[in-house]
Amino acid sequence: MSEDRNSASISGAGVINGGTYTRISISGAGKVTGDVTAEELRISGAGKVLGRAEATQITASGSAVFANDVIAEEMRVSGSARVEGRAKVKELKCSGTFKASGSISSEYIKTTGDLRVGGDVEAEIFKATGGFRIEGLLSADRVEIHIGGRCHAKEIGGERIQVARGGWKEKGILLDGLIKLFTGGGNAELVTQQIEGDEISLEDTTAEVVRGTRIDIGPGCHIARVEYSESLHVDADAVVKEKVKV
Amino acid sequence: MSDERLISKKEVLEELGISYGQLYRWKRKGLIPEAWFIRQSTFTGQETFFPRDKIIGRIQRIKEMKENLPLDELAELITTQVNEKLEVAFSRLRNLGWLDDQVAEACHLHADRATERETVPVSEALCVGVLCRLEKAASKEEMGLAKQTLDRATAAGLVDQIRQEKLQFYLLRKRLAAAGISAQISLAVIAQEGARFDPEIEVVQAIDLQGLLETIRFDLVNGRKPGDGAKSDESKEES
Repeated sequence: MSEDRNSASISGAGVINGGTYTRISISGAGKVTGDVTAEELRISGAGKVLGRAEATQITASGSAVFANDVIAEEMRVSGSARVEGRAKVKELKCSGTFKASGSISSEYIKTTGDLRVGGDVEAEIFKATGGFRIEGLLSADRVEIHIGGRCHAKEIGGERIQVARGGWKEKGILLDGLIKLFTGGGNAELVTQQIEGDEISLEDTTAEVVRGTRIDIGPGCHIARVEYSESLHVDADAVVKEKVKV
Repeated sequence: MSDERLISKKEVLEELGISYGQLYRWKRKGLIPEAWFIRQSTFTGQETFFPRDKIIGRIQRIKEMKENLPLDELAELITTQVNEKLEVAFSRLRNLGWLDDQVAEACHLHADRATERETVPVSEALCVGVLCRLEKAASKEEMGLAKQTLDRATAAGLVDQIRQEKLQFYLLRKRLAAAGISAQISLAVIAQEGARFDPEIEVVQAIDLQGLLETIRFDLVNGRKPGDGAKSDESKEES
């Protein structure tokens, strides 16, 4: 609506209308009532955007809620952010908690915190060292997971898929126990129905089917069926019920 | 759905020599529609199947075209909706072998215009596409009938409709014979794929309009980007 490119800032409690802004900053409790376009959108208090949010950069270090779609070049979440629509974010970095009810499409995702997605996650590169729960398909050219909590995706597909034991496990039982305590008592492992890729290497992964060209099944894995076309290596400390060369 | 033949994901990879990485990448970019991924339970668990002819055609196209076009641009072209406003160059239609004198006449396009660098709307290109496919089997009157039918459908938003529905163009004939007199009636029909007709009706030709629209769209692409010069960082992506 408004064509002026201005900035708006809420540091107490306030409401901003939708529109086009250069910079929006919410450090108290604030609400944006409509669709908003901004170069920078910074939420360090409690902020809610009711409309669609489109920004070059979004920073959420407090608690941010987006009731609609989010489109951004870059989004950093160090507090908590919830997106109730679709998230289309070129570069997503999450060290806090990020929840999306719909799907995320991205080029680069790095999460060290907790990621929860109701739909699919698409990226060129997906790196996770925390825990995540993805209800749909996780698809990326490169998937790199260092298990640091409970990791769950319905399916995983891409070119190179690497799942490694988190650094904590080697550091002894005490730390491992502490991690379990923080992550809800569950085992730090990856659980998925299906993994498909060209180069796959796994650790601490439970899956029904793993299909790929070159597959390396490492320690701690429980796989019902592996289908490979070139090579397969299975660690002594892994369980694979069925191995099929296709 | 119709009884399309299916092909498993494994077979697609093997037969077309592509990798999982490529398949997932193309899916992400929207080059392969979500609806083509059909999940089915097999004795080995869940597997993904595709409509055989469609996926093979599409992947061959992607493989050909990605030589000249970066993947993102290709994706844009495939996912961009064809709308009425898009124009197709005359010369492209001619190069496709669609536009000979008979079709041009039936479409009321003058052959001399065809030599110029002129364009026609997508709907008209579609009409040309249908007529050139009918040409061999259809009489002149039937061509006229087809043209009228398409014109009416276009006015009622045919192009939009094709995007959403599997529409076919049917040319039908029915012979009536009684008391030594025989007559033949011809019908031009636009209906959903798999429409059933009474057994006395002869289906002279059935044309998949969605496929045709896609061909036109792909051809627009080729027309826009002749040859090379568009190779960017795609080779890196496509190891």
